[in-house]
Amino acid sequence: MIEVIDLVKHYTAADGRIVRAVDGVSFAVAPGEMVGLLGANGAGKTTTLRVLATLLRPTSGTARVAGSDVVLDPVGARCQLGYVSATTGVPDRLTPREILQSFGRLHGVAAETLDDRVGQLLSVLDLISCADRPAGRLSSGQRQRVSVGRALVHNPPALVLDEPTSVLDVFGSRDLLAFLADLRSDGRAILLSTHRLHEIENRCDRFVIIHGGRVAAQGTRAQLAGPAGSLEQGFFAAVEGARA
Amino acid sequence: MTTITTTNPIGTMLPPPAAAAQALPRGTLLAAVLAVAGFQLRRLFTLPRLAIAALGVLFPAAVLLAVRKTLSGSMDGTVVVILYALIPEALCMLGLLVTMCPAVADELERGTWAHIAVRPHGRRALLLGSFVAAVAWTAAVAILALCLALAVSGMAHPWKRFPLFAGLVGLSCLGRAALFALPAVIVPKRALVASVGVAIVVEYLAGFLPAVVNQLTVSLRLRSLLVQGMGWGRQMPAGMQLLIDPNPVWVQCGAVVLLAGVLLVASVLILDRRQFPPSEEG
Repeated sequence: MIEVIDLVKHYTAADGRIVRAVDGVSFAVAPGEMVGLLGANGAGKTTTLRVLATLLRPTSGTARVAGSDVVLDPVGARCQLGYVSATTGVPDRLTPREILQSFGRLHGVAAETLDDRVGQLLSVLDLISCADRPAGRLSSGQRQRVSVGRALVHNPPALVLDEPTSVLDVFGSRDLLAFLADLRSDGRAILLSTHRLHEIENRCDRFVIIHGGRVAAQGTRAQLAGPAGSLEQGFFAAVEGARA
Repeated sequence: MTTITTTNPIGTMLPPPAAAAQALPRGTLLAAVLAVAGFQLRRLFTLPRLAIAALGVLFPAAVLLAVRKTLSGSMDGTVVVILYALIPEALCMLGLLVTMCPAVADELERGTWAHIAVRPHGRRALLLGSFVAAVAWTAAVAILALCLALAVSGMAHPWKRFPLFAGLVGLSCLGRAALFALPAVIVPKRALVASVGVAIVVEYLAGFLPAVVNQLTVSLRLRSLLVQGMGWGRQMPAGMQLLIDPNPVWVQCGAVVLLAGVLLVASVLILDRRQFPPSEEG
């Protein structure tokens, strides 16, 4: 469903230096699978996710969403993808209902299904009580749930989430991750990045650890952590191995 | 404590993704443009924005009332020139600077850029929808200002001038909004400053040069339409004739529409290729 093959993304810094944000990353996320993308700050997680979301063009390599190449068929890739960014990016003056409706219309969801879809998302995401309150007066957790609803309004088979729990408290994180697990069980491919390893170590099917723009290790929790270790230990071992 | 329902209601709520993938909406550009335009217009309906718009509506009428007190005798010509300078030029220009210039910068600052750009026609719809909203909002304010100004103008048969000025307002909004779209996509964070520069250099310096370059300005077309509409062509001194274009009305209108089209296509193509690193987003 989500394929990343030898992905390279270079930036030119202000001083003219070439920054290799992503340098040959490859991984895949199958339908019905939730994969955690792990790495330190500046490892290349966000850049990888933004290439998948067609926000950035890769320098080389391939990224596909449900078979649509993000460079050759960006519109096709966007149709198949829901994207949640680290910042909720929810307009303060609009209500959750208005935001979901506006983005549904922007995505081309048919008018006859949009109201039902929005109503169901508001219900599922526990936003009914604040559905008609300006988003500027919502809590961080509610705003993040609006952001998730906005990503789901067109019912995409693939979801990409960039640190979705970074603004949430422990309860909000727990609920959101449980919700993502439900989406996975419907056959959706879910790729999420996070710093909070303990939150996802029992939620994701597999993990991809990147460091310095390259894949340091990937596999299941058991493969990365070893028989006695935790995911965190596996993460440190992989990153230190990559540094060495 | 709030709890997101976790009994897998999504399965009953949405079709399974495999089946849905076949029928996922791609949408049309027009629907997306209208969605963004509606979204942007809703953002404009705030008290501060409405207060500024009310000021814009009242200002030309206030100036005309002040002029009427200082001038005596027939002053229709003077009133027409003042109306032209205040409404299709100043008011439209200011309205579009406020509404069109921040089209991309606002989304970057609010962190909504990424969420719009990941939609099938999101980037184009953002620019064109903002264009539609800017033109609709500014033209509505300018037309209200025109009606009020005509009502207090003291001209003989003031409403006979309404179609001419309404047309000038429409063309001014169309042309200038497209002109300001270019800085909005090239230098989004400095679009306002760049657009003021473009307005001064292109519209008011190049536009008054009696050379080929002024053919590419909206101000030449508006001036020429005003002169033709008022029947002033033959009365103008030879030197002033250089500042207008003698071609018929349809050429002037066509030139503005063509210019707007070219500028919008260029802006859309630039925005399609723009990449904003996360550090540029709010």
